[in-house]
Amino acid sequence: MFERLRRRRLDGESSDEQLHRAARAGSSEAMAELYRRHGGLVYRFTLRMSGNAAAAEEITQEVFLALLTQIDRFDAGRGALSTWLCGIARRQLWKYLERRDAAAMFEFDEESAAELQCPSDGPAELLLRGEAVAAVRAGLDELPPALREVVILCSLEEMNYEQAAQVLSVPVGTVRSRLHRAKARLAGLLRREMANTERKRQ
Amino acid sequence: MTTERELDEILAEIGRQHRATGAPGRLESALLAAVDGRRSSIEKPRMRLRWVLAAAVLLLAAGVTAGVIWQAREVHRPQSQQAGAVPGLQFRPEPMPPSGRVTGRQSPRSNSALTRRGGRVRGGLRDSSTKKATWNSLDEFVPLPVSEGLPTAAELSVVRMRLRGSDLQQYGLETPADAAGQTLLAEFVVGEDGLPRAIRIVR
Repeated sequence: MFERLRRRRLDGESSDEQLHRAARAGSSEAMAELYRRHGGLVYRFTLRMSGNAAAAEEITQEVFLALLTQIDRFDAGRGALSTWLCGIARRQLWKYLERRDAAAMFEFDEESAAELQCPSDGPAELLLRGEAVAAVRAGLDELPPALREVVILCSLEEMNYEQAAQVLSVPVGTVRSRLHRAKARLAGLLRREMANTERKRQ
Repeated sequence: MTTERELDEILAEIGRQHRATGAPGRLESALLAAVDGRRSSIEKPRMRLRWVLAAAVLLLAAGVTAGVIWQAREVHRPQSQQAGAVPGLQFRPEPMPPSGRVTGRQSPRSNSALTRRGGRVRGGLRDSSTKKATWNSLDEFVPLPVSEGLPTAAELSVVRMRLRGSDLQQYGLETPADAAGQTLLAEFVVGEDGLPRAIRIVR
């Protein structure tokens, strides 16, 4: 009977805090529900950042195992569980990226990125939508990780600046400026792609 | 500006496709297995800890019980000792023969020496609410006023001794005027603690 009551309590309407308490008490149902809620976010973030499904799965698993072993470290008063999990994922991810390609990690420079200039506007209507999407996606993958993660969190995951700042452990202003720079790069890439397409047509 | 707006639309489209991706289901089962494994690894030491705690509680309870019993005895003992401080002789009676009759005679060696002819006393002592004993009957045992407050003796013995009439005062008894200077033969009812409870003048 208690098991039934417990399961009824841990349904989809339970808050993250309730699930967190239950998970701390050793409830596997609560852990499963937390995974169903936030596993997608963590997996997508790590997949988009690493570009490697196996690595993304491994990191996602590590994140939730960390949730299991370091569950007492989460403080609901300081932020949402989703951002806390993303923060853990990000730390794991950067370790992975450092191992994989150390050079890419040092490519990004805040000062030089600020000097990026956007090319002149081109005829966007001439670029097919699919090609534009593919170009932006490719450009996103080529962004330095520090800019890419901001775009993923703010533009793709639709987090607000405060949430992204919590995940990245940086001030909100830094999130804004990085997002601006990342979009400027992508816009430049898009314009070049548009120009190339127009040139080909002519 | 057109490009920025276009970029935002493209990012929104990529975002929609991006968010359609869910967490891999196989990770959930692996995670649950890890949860179960961890829970069992946690519960074993917990069970051990519970047993240790239970044993500690039992030991503590046993210690407290022993302490309470010891303290109760300690409280009891001073009363006996206090009562024993009442003027009088410490008796160390020896059980009398099973007949229960007083058969001993006084010792010829000393007036104050005890003649140990103890025996079990059957029947009750005459109740004396007054401190001063009366000597109406030589056959009856009279409770000693100094024995009031002593615990009830589980076993009583009778010892016979010779004493002076004036010695009766130290037991809280009123000495008859004509007996003050005489030597009396008396029988004392003595408890297992060696303290007298009652007296009877034999001669």
